[in-house]
Amino acid sequence: MTSTLERSLPEADIGDPRRKLIVIGNGMAGARTVEEILQRNGAEQFAITMFGDEPYGNYNRIMLSHVLSGEESDQDIYLNSIAWYEENHITLHVGVRATKIDRFAKLVYSNDGQITRYDQLIIATGSNSFMPSMEGLRMADGSLKPGVFAFRTIDDTRGMIEYAQHDNHNRAAVIGGGLLGLEAARGLQAYGLQVDVVHAGGHLMNAQVGPQAGEILRRSVEKLGIEVHVKARTTAIMGEEKVTGIWLLEHPQIECDMVVVAAGIRPSVELAVRSGFTVERAIVVDDQMRTVEDDDVYAVGECVQHRGEVYGLVAPLWEQAVVLADHITGADPLSAYHGSRTATKLKVAGVDVASMGLQGPERDTDEVLVFAEPKKGIFKSLVIRDEKLVGATILGDTSKVAFLMQAFDRGLPLPVERLEMMFNLGTPAAEVGAEELADDAQVCNCNGVSKLALVHAVEGGCKTVNAVMDKTRAGKGCGSCKTLVCQIVEWAAGGAVQEDPSANWYVPGVPLDKPALMDAIRLKELKSVSAVFAALAPAGAEDAKSKMGLASLLKMMWDSDYLDERDARYINDRVHANIQRDGTFSVVPQMRGGVTSVAQLRRIADVAEKHQVPLIKLTGGQRIDLLGIPKESLPQVWADLDMPSGYAYGKSFRTVKTCVGQTFCRFGTGDSTQLGMDLETRYQGLESPAKLKLAVSGCPRNCAESLVKDVGVVAIDGGRWEIYIGGAAGAHIRKGDLLATVHSQGEVMVLSGRFMQYYRENAKWLERTYSFVPRIGVDRIKAIIVDDSDGIATRLDAAISESVAAYRDPWLDGADPVTAGQFRTSLPLEVLPQVPVRSGG
Amino acid sequence: MVAGNRPATLVPQEDFPTNRGGLCSKGWTATSLLDHPDRLLTPLVRTIPGDRTSPLRPATWAQALDRVVDGIEAAQVRYGRDAVGCFGGGGLTNEKAYLFGKFARVALRSSAIDYNGRFCMSSAATAANRAFGIDRGLPFPLSDIAGAEAVLLVGSNPADTMPPAMQYFDAGRANGAVHIVVDPRRTSTAAGATLHLAPIPGTDLALANGLLHIAIRDSLIDQPYIAARTTGFDAVRARISAYWPDRVERITGVPVAQLRETVRALAQARSAMILTARGAEQHRNGTDTAQAYINLALALGLQGKPASGYGTITGQGNGQGGREHGQKADQLPGYRRLDDPTARAHVAKVWGIEPDELPLPGRSAFEMLDRMGADGGVRALIVLASNIVVSAPDVNRIRARLAALDLLVVSDIFLSETAALADVVLPTAQWAEEEGTMTNLEGRVLHRKRALPPPAGVWDDMQFLTAVAQRLGRGKYFTSNPREVFDELRRASAGGIADYAGITYERIDAEKGVFWPCPTVDHPGTPRLFETDFPTPSGRAKFIPVDHRQPNEVPDVHFPYVLTTGRIAAQYQSGNQTRRVKSLSHTDPSVQLHTNLARTLGLENGEIVQLETRRGRATFRAAVDDSIRPDTLFVPFHWGGTSCANLLTDTALDPFSKMPAFKVCAVAATRVGGIDDDHLLAAPPAKPLHPPPGPAGSAPPIRRYIRRQANPHRKDVFMASQNRFLQGVYPFEGAGIDKLSLIHPDLVRLVPDGVVCQALYLRGGNTSDELVVVVLMRDGVPMRYFPIGAKSDIHVPLRVVEDLEGGSSIELFIGAPDGLTGHVIVDLGMVEV
Repeated sequence: MTSTLERSLPEADIGDPRRKLIVIGNGMAGARTVEEILQRNGAEQFAITMFGDEPYGNYNRIMLSHVLSGEESDQDIYLNSIAWYEENHITLHVGVRATKIDRFAKLVYSNDGQITRYDQLIIATGSNSFMPSMEGLRMADGSLKPGVFAFRTIDDTRGMIEYAQHDNHNRAAVIGGGLLGLEAARGLQAYGLQVDVVHAGGHLMNAQVGPQAGEILRRSVEKLGIEVHVKARTTAIMGEEKVTGIWLLEHPQIECDMVVVAAGIRPSVELAVRSGFTVERAIVVDDQMRTVEDDDVYAVGECVQHRGEVYGLVAPLWEQAVVLADHITGADPLSAYHGSRTATKLKVAGVDVASMGLQGPERDTDEVLVFAEPKKGIFKSLVIRDEKLVGATILGDTSKVAFLMQAFDRGLPLPVERLEMMFNLGTPAAEVGAEELADDAQVCNCNGVSKLALVHAVEGGCKTVNAVMDKTRAGKGCGSCKTLVCQIVEWAAGGAVQEDPSANWYVPGVPLDKPALMDAIRLKELKSVSAVFAALAPAGAEDAKSKMGLASLLKMMWDSDYLDERDARYINDRVHANIQRDGTFSVVPQMRGGVTSVAQLRRIADVAEKHQVPLIKLTGGQRIDLLGIPKESLPQVWADLDMPSGYAYGKSFRTVKTCVGQTFCRFGTGDSTQLGMDLETRYQGLESPAKLKLAVSGCPRNCAESLVKDVGVVAIDGGRWEIYIGGAAGAHIRKGDLLATVHSQGEVMVLSGRFMQYYRENAKWLERTYSFVPRIGVDRIKAIIVDDSDGIATRLDAAISESVAAYRDPWLDGADPVTAGQFRTSLPLEVLPQVPVRSGG
Repeated sequence: MVAGNRPATLVPQEDFPTNRGGLCSKGWTATSLLDHPDRLLTPLVRTIPGDRTSPLRPATWAQALDRVVDGIEAAQVRYGRDAVGCFGGGGLTNEKAYLFGKFARVALRSSAIDYNGRFCMSSAATAANRAFGIDRGLPFPLSDIAGAEAVLLVGSNPADTMPPAMQYFDAGRANGAVHIVVDPRRTSTAAGATLHLAPIPGTDLALANGLLHIAIRDSLIDQPYIAARTTGFDAVRARISAYWPDRVERITGVPVAQLRETVRALAQARSAMILTARGAEQHRNGTDTAQAYINLALALGLQGKPASGYGTITGQGNGQGGREHGQKADQLPGYRRLDDPTARAHVAKVWGIEPDELPLPGRSAFEMLDRMGADGGVRALIVLASNIVVSAPDVNRIRARLAALDLLVVSDIFLSETAALADVVLPTAQWAEEEGTMTNLEGRVLHRKRALPPPAGVWDDMQFLTAVAQRLGRGKYFTSNPREVFDELRRASAGGIADYAGITYERIDAEKGVFWPCPTVDHPGTPRLFETDFPTPSGRAKFIPVDHRQPNEVPDVHFPYVLTTGRIAAQYQSGNQTRRVKSLSHTDPSVQLHTNLARTLGLENGEIVQLETRRGRATFRAAVDDSIRPDTLFVPFHWGGTSCANLLTDTALDPFSKMPAFKVCAVAATRVGGIDDDHLLAAPPAKPLHPPPGPAGSAPPIRRYIRRQANPHRKDVFMASQNRFLQGVYPFEGAGIDKLSLIHPDLVRLVPDGVVCQALYLRGGNTSDELVVVVLMRDGVPMRYFPIGAKSDIHVPLRVVEDLEGGSSIELFIGAPDGLTGHVIVDLGMVEV
């Protein structure tokens, strides 16, 4: 076996063979550089010591404005916690400031009196808030006057929040209308302060955007209730003990309780200057981030000047960190920093601002696009040079910023239609229509069928979609192209496509629609599924997919005369319970209208205990559901319950949900509970093409959700009832259509029964009322059911009464299985112990 | 014995739970391969043994085996046991993959074995093992996809690459599920999705971290789940704070609004899946990328919940099973680790050998191939079910390495590009001609029955391996009967992660497949994993913080675009099979590129374009449309010869999974021909652009972290820059000290586009008796004045330097008193970056 010996890292001490690396600065650049070094196995090479001014780990400075506005907690902005330094064996001196570097002796002096030796050094001192000179900024001891804040550190932020929350502080002035100043202004507003922004420049955010955009930005900001003063220089801060206002040059003075100075940042370079490094605007470094003087001293972050540029954004700092780490660890000695393209995208004071590269054109040949809609606060300008985006300013609408940023960063080829770069001109047509599709375009990938082949099939005489699919095998593979095949066939047939006659058949195996099928069945007195096949199916062939539908239809038509053949039922109907995903069943005892009694509850509880029912649950239809019953236990469970079936399964009338009704409810206007129980008593268990869920609500508040049921009844004022049909609240949601408003419960019973019978006779197999009602049309249904336009009302009423009379509780099967194997387990692997069935229950 | 004698037909089995009878065009046409006229029906050997330029000739099995065994013995005697290597494929049955692994370890006693699956799913597999303690493509049945209310599909195009699986996506979409597809191309899968995110290739990790950032910020994570079922979240949370949305937008190019919409869809659905595929995984940070999506799935509390969780979609026929039973360099059957003493003891016992006889883990696929014929590398190679000169990255290099072998043995059904280079080519049985099991991406073990015998004279790979083992004196350990091999595999895998002990051919047939792990014959199998715990020591899933890294190659001036590779619907893998099917071969090797890019390149749809990377050139037909990012080119990898995508691809490897970075490298594109220049696509393979890097056996160009010897000297450092000088001796005649004129037309430098110039210093001399001034001009505007005294000289270092951008004109002017004549000597030093 080979394995590399795990060597625990020794503490940095004498005898440690690793080089000593000191990082001065623990901000976003310093800590990130250390992270990059560690990722390159730097811990094997270096014993790392870091100096940090602030007494914290490293946090994400750009999120400070979010902390101020309360969007982020100050805990969520830490990039490296104190624990991180310990885990990585980094010696961190927090709250300690390095005061001098002796680069000849390779020593760092710090303000705690310590002298630390290094082999290599990284200066990452970052930058400080720039404090313009003005009177009254500081107290005699040099500290800022109470009420004056810089906006740079987490402590500044916490101080601002605390001060702003003080009850006596109502008004704040922010000096600086750059992005930080605007953020501060917006943040302070959240504490109920009236805020003024005082900006020395000619327009807001002049570092990032041009005058026109700056003006639009000013409008947007003022709309938020922030007063903006441009070209306003602050000359003094008033107040003896604390801030009371500011003096402005050539402007009226502003009274305020606090002042936030956000007038920009300056690289923090005192240490480097004092230690003899070349400093111009910032510490000068080469492409490997080394100082001019010393190959062993690097600098990174906002405190460096690279090729004349000083960066104040995060992305460039992190790019520098990668190069520095590559180089210092030797991971990639060729790594070089070539400068960064600067781009920012921020929400400044609630306004989206993105700016990159040039603000405006520089050469005659530069192509400029400008769009401005000041009312909406929208401004967009793009500068294009030699087919490359070299600058952009976007205000307000940032929908295209992601693309522009990429075009700017990566030099994406630009569209001829320049407008596309400014606006989303609608997505390109997702689907190519059948007509535009090329003849040789492959439609069915599985069977390699082209559009032309489909067209030929149509021309060759196939007039239905199915016929074309049969002939070409298109759509017979994975099936995902069926929609397209339909479209092409329709297009190719030029409207002459014949509707597939089978689409109207009640079941696929018998070529008749429902009325014709029912006529034939009545005429020939076909009382079993097999008889129907023998008499009506082509060549008498049985079709498995048709059996269930026929069984349901025959049951409805012949009631007790129907000859039951068990294989023509769904498993749920065969065993009168609802199969669950693990193969067990659920049992729902009848509980008419959702009303139960102590005795019922007790019995259910006893049964559940006896059979160790894994889960007892209230259903959406207000029933109690016992889940996890093995198939072979069903008869015993039913026997023990000795309650009728609650019909939570099967294609049949299921449940009636009710609300409390007028007896108890303060709002109730009708006895909905009793009506619900009556409905359920009468119609329970009726076979139907698909399940029927009902509800009765005692008032229009609709507590029983009557408006989204197959049949829903709502009591309204004056003792009247509204009957809704065709509602649904499953995967498909539909509000039911009003069938009728009636004056008595008796009318409700009759009309709903008549509707259900009509549905039973005319709906396709598995067609729910929410499809059936719109298909027939609610007006037509109203005419038939309410106005008896077809003169069939009497027949419908009689038919449903007959069905009601023929009802037999299926759970009686439990004592007397219809087939020998009805309740035997069907799992082939292990034979479960057979539960003896007690006769008579 | 060719086509027609025994036409086979396919009958779909509509009740089969994985595909419900659906097949893609490759499946429907697969029967045409059985009696294809190109089929190999007899072993082939070189006419002159050892000379691979001599033609191949038919041989008997005995002759072929003699050559194979002689070659193996010669290599092992001379260079040691590890000098013989095995390279397998994800298309092999479990039995063959198992036997191949055992063959390497027991018959050859060599550590050198790996397989092409390393190029497929190894990143996701490594990540899943790290996070969940188990690697099964999908921890749930494929059909669960239909039940997920939200699906995030990263780098996958099942509509083209796995049509039978698409029905479940379609079903979900029909039910109103929100599907979000992450792909640089608007594929047919993406076009049908609710939302399509098109990130820059190679930034999927940053995207995942950005999504997690938003989920954390907006309190959409599942805290109770994280607390109860995972470890390590705090470290991830800390790392994620650096992926704020605007930063992620800039890295990936995906708008913040889309990121937010994606997170909301995943977090608010009652069931949500995150599925990755090769697009996210075939990168040098593929493992970490998969991990980033696992982190997201865990933070949202998805793993182990109904119709929810992370999974990876794998493509090869036996992609899952092929990686479980020992054809990986570091692995024994049952997904056991080769360096785990307990696992070694268990498997050695099943095999009837001492644990110490088992070799140690060997090199991963590309590392093994890259050292072929070199010191310490493989000298003889046996290849089953793989076409490496098409499918491995940087095939120019692989071709050179194969040439350095002493013996190359390739078993295939056709004379593939790799077989054409071999010393010995062996015909083998096809899918319908052999019995065995396959394990699909759901972890469902399937039984493939033998429908018809192979043609006369064709053996299957198990017969071949057993015969070689026999000749090597290790025959007693081997059998070629699939059922016996499978029963042995069950014993070998018993107790392992991928436990097949309870699976029998009969059970598979009766139950339409059995899901592993299945430790005993009365165990029902495991369709869904992680419902209660994770098979890690703590029982919890592991969060691991991961960071975005730039791809190994990023576009630059010379290679300005991104190349990504993938598959199309009509072709399979190296195309060795599908290119021979008539109804599939209508597709030309093509490169997909955006209209805007095509215009920049002066290219029309259908014209021939040459792509060039640092490793090679290849030509394709341009397919121009708007459904791809404008900076990205997409090339399917199904072709060999001059249109082989892998002539171009990068060999940078993922440090954990050793997956090559197939999915991203920098590329340049040029139009080389019109629509009718078909010959450009059919030309012989391109020669390497540069000689294969380094001497034989040199390490692959992985960026490795080398311990630094000493400070590299500034002089040694390569600068991606060019020095430029404006210099010379020039006469002048003054017109007034303030009347500036160009010294000489030579002293003008137009900075090229895309380049930034900086002036570093100016030296100047003046022979005249009066002061003159030399002026550095940019675009006709003075930048700096350099006064030079009478008969004197200056040297000014220009430390504070400005960037002079492309298009700027830099000129040197002079001003001198009226009538003064003399010479100036100037030397302006500049650097262009």
